[in-house]
Amino acid sequence: MRLHPLTSLAAAGSTAVITTAAASLPLSLAVMGAAVALSARSGTARRLLPAAAAVLLPLGLSLLVMHGLFFPEGRTVLAQWGMARVTAEGLAFALERAAQLGAVVLALLVFSFSVSVPDLVAVLSSRGLHGRFAFVLASTLTLLPAITSRVERIRQAQESRGLVVRRGLLHRAAAFRLQAVPLVLSLIEDAGTRTAALEARGFSNPGPRTSYRAVPDPRGQRVLRAALLAAAAAAVAARLLLTQAGS
Amino acid sequence: MSAAPHSTESLPVLSAGIRSFTYHGDGLPVLEGIDLDLAPGTLTAVLGASGSGKSTLGRLLSGWLPPGTGGTLRGFLELAGTRLEFGAGGDPRINPAEWGRHVGFVPQDPAAVLSTVRATVAEELAFGLENAAVEPQAMKAAAEHTAALLGLTEFLERDPGSLSGGQMRRLAIGCAIIAGPRVLIMDEPFASLDTAGTAGLARLLQGLVRLGTAVVVLSQVVDAPLLAAGTWVVLENGSVTGSGTPAGLQAGSGLLPPGIRASGGAPAPAVDHAGAAHADRLLPRGGAGVPALELRGVCFGYGTRGNAANGRTTWRRIRGGSTAAHASAQVLQGISLRVRRGEIVAVTGPNGAGKSTLLRHVNGLLRPTAGRVLVNGRDIAGEPAGEAARSVGLLFQQPRDQLFERTALREVRFGLDRLFHPDEAAGRALEALSAVGLAGASDAHPAELPASGQRLLALATVLARKPAVLALDEPTVAMDGGGLALLDAAVRSAAGEGAAVVLVTHDLDYARAVAHRVVTLDGGRLDG
Amino acid sequence: MSPSLTMPAPAPAAARKRRLLEILGAVAIAATYIYLVLNQPADITGGPGSASALIALSGFLAGAILLIVAVLPALPASSVVLIPVALVLNIVLGQFVGSTLVPFYLDAIGTVLIAVLAGPAAGAATGALSSIVWSFFNPTVLPFAAGAALIGCLAGLAARHGMFRRFYLAPVAGFVTGIIGGVVSAPVAAFVFGGTSGVATGAIVSAFRSMGDTLLAAITKQALISDPMDKAIVFTVVAVLAYALPRRARLQFPFVRRHRVLAGTTPGQDS
Repeated sequence: MRLHPLTSLAAAGSTAVITTAAASLPLSLAVMGAAVALSARSGTARRLLPAAAAVLLPLGLSLLVMHGLFFPEGRTVLAQWGMARVTAEGLAFALERAAQLGAVVLALLVFSFSVSVPDLVAVLSSRGLHGRFAFVLASTLTLLPAITSRVERIRQAQESRGLVVRRGLLHRAAAFRLQAVPLVLSLIEDAGTRTAALEARGFSNPGPRTSYRAVPDPRGQRVLRAALLAAAAAAVAARLLLTQAGS
Repeated sequence: MSAAPHSTESLPVLSAGIRSFTYHGDGLPVLEGIDLDLAPGTLTAVLGASGSGKSTLGRLLSGWLPPGTGGTLRGFLELAGTRLEFGAGGDPRINPAEWGRHVGFVPQDPAAVLSTVRATVAEELAFGLENAAVEPQAMKAAAEHTAALLGLTEFLERDPGSLSGGQMRRLAIGCAIIAGPRVLIMDEPFASLDTAGTAGLARLLQGLVRLGTAVVVLSQVVDAPLLAAGTWVVLENGSVTGSGTPAGLQAGSGLLPPGIRASGGAPAPAVDHAGAAHADRLLPRGGAGVPALELRGVCFGYGTRGNAANGRTTWRRIRGGSTAAHASAQVLQGISLRVRRGEIVAVTGPNGAGKSTLLRHVNGLLRPTAGRVLVNGRDIAGEPAGEAARSVGLLFQQPRDQLFERTALREVRFGLDRLFHPDEAAGRALEALSAVGLAGASDAHPAELPASGQRLLALATVLARKPAVLALDEPTVAMDGGGLALLDAAVRSAAGEGAAVVLVTHDLDYARAVAHRVVTLDGGRLDG
Repeated sequence: MSPSLTMPAPAPAAARKRRLLEILGAVAIAATYIYLVLNQPADITGGPGSASALIALSGFLAGAILLIVAVLPALPASSVVLIPVALVLNIVLGQFVGSTLVPFYLDAIGTVLIAVLAGPAAGAATGALSSIVWSFFNPTVLPFAAGAALIGCLAGLAARHGMFRRFYLAPVAGFVTGIIGGVVSAPVAAFVFGGTSGVATGAIVSAFRSMGDTLLAAITKQALISDPMDKAIVFTVVAVLAYALPRRARLQFPFVRRHRVLAGTTPGQDS
């Protein structure tokens, strides 16, 4: 079954919210495992895992160093070098936080790497106010590779004018100016033309719109979305109540 | 008007009476004294050199530059019976979407038209219809019909960003005409189209005219299809200096300013600005020594080792996708070429033959997978491209990528201080500016120069260094007649002073006119 | 005379509704911050700390979304088209400067550029959208949407009040913006992440922690060390870029014309 983009968004979002609210290490680990398995099955793991690692490794390392070595609230001291004290509480805190964040990040990344962006844009565009948000999202994803290749072209052009990137702050600042100025100038000029073209094609029309791309939205999935959102809301409410009761 | 007995067919659908139009913050108007009437079923050509105000006029007429937000208009615009007066206080604000239903516009750079939010050509075509809430079935039919008209049917499911330049231009035209506007305005539509492309576009325009569209072509070249236009309007420095039938305005009458190039792409006969001798087709003496530029058995293929000149990949590591690793075909297969001091060599060949790739080897932007590149007998293999730039000046197709300073003079002076004594640097900069006819524009912002002027300025930045090798990538594109004559003179004079010139062009007439020697690059090999 | 070729006057009722949403968004962000700082939830390091994480997350995110809902539909198309460009510039220029120049994040160059050219509302929307769109690739930036919106808004206000007319004032404005932005973003780092996402910043936090600071205090101090400098550099880079624009390109932005944002650009004679 092909999932409607909003259904997969709701699934990823509510998973993230529920994991955060539950704050339980086993659940976090289970969600991480499930997310990796899901992306492996849909064949996106090769792109997803490097992206997730780029986010999670520095974060995890930072947490481990920060709380593993310095945790003034910790009582059970495992080892001590001068100022640094390794405490059981610190390590547990770092581990729990890292797992919780890992689960959230992986759940959301499974969504972004599996969703069909054109479908998502079509769905958002046909829903009133979201049209402009959809424009920003889709346009950013289209422009990113286009602008990176333009940067490469500008670098070549400037090297042909004698740009050599040398060591030293001043040299690098100068090299940055040589490349950033033509880039920004041409992007602002192009944006002006694009604005006029979009306006002429009714980008700001206040009235109703239709969509060329048809994205089926079966009834079952609409029910599922509502259930997912309700579950997320319930999890948040439960956590807040428990905290109230506890304090 | 009520006395006019004949049919309403000949009444203009769009009229303009522009007393003046001034951009915000500019002292002087860019347009002055322009009266235009565009009747249904006519083809009008607005001819003017680069910087004459054609594009401003086109954008103003099509609602792309709404008076008030873009600048100050005094005068009126009248579309489909509605007359809007500007400049008397309380100006009306044009609704660009409604205006766009009646008037379609295709700018010079078609890629800038793309919405960037649609995944296929079909959806891109339908974007305007979606915003007008057209039913899906009707949209599909309209997209298919428009694509068939433009020969884009086989690309309907393709990503618009992956189209070639010519296909992109056709898509931009499709986006402008899909809603059936009564007026279609196009800015330089024939530029960089080959003969077949020009003929196809001409047929499309004829069809639209027959169906009653008022078609306007803005151009600095009298392309063949424009000979069939009903009216020519000549624009010079923002004012209309002549209008009438093509026959009345054609060669001999002296009414066409020299900036407007004749059809066929051949440059106007070289005006002898720099005093370059006409005998310069004879090769200069003293070419017996080491050639200024020599390529020995150069091979290159994308995707093979060493396509990035200095291995910096920081810019590209964002989405983790490598874009250039698929086409691993050999683009260059054992190219050998010797260019002596003072010699001008033109490299021609079909699109995609690798001409620009070849040129990028001359200063080390690309490194050969086999073979050597020697400048003045020295192998540039170990040198960064920025170092090789001291003796090799390379001019790109997009001059705006190379310009970054705030005035033309600063642009040319940039980097000269490191090479020469400050007094000498100043002299050289001024000399180079006047060599390309921009002495009067030394305080202008490079980005505000017209397309021709930007290319000439980029040329000046290269000439000021007096490089041993001058390499030019498609120098004629977007050049008007005056600019081409100046380019010609500057190139000849550089060669006269001993520079070796390599230029890459698709324009065979130009190549024959300017070069001592023409070679053809095809299938990765050089002939000739 | 068909009126459809010209624009109708904007309806005042819609403007009032948008103003209300803007205020609600700002209040949500401010209230969340005040609650977190005053209450200093005890569970931050004692327990799993998820209630405060949820409050920080939902309060800031709701505020940012309210701001977007209020601002985005009212922005002129020219600003909306620039937002994606700014988002890409945030990443591309930030990476370039970051990797070659100095060890800062510098991830707001595009946001500040838009704020200077199109005003505080566009700046705030760009900042918030930047976090939301990039969370597509890196979900950890999502909770910082409110802080990024604040940076964009403050940059636009600085531009409106002439801080970009003198070249030496831009870094000063950036420094002040950095202080405010850093202080407001610190609770997100503390309560949602329990730390910072970088190893270098993590080391600074550890140093303060070793002196016995609470996590929030340590992270706020760390932000006060790195953020003002970071934003001072960003504002300077933006000033360089804005002054490199040709006159016509600068003056196409009504905000630049009306408030004489950049020196040497006289306002249009009759607009």
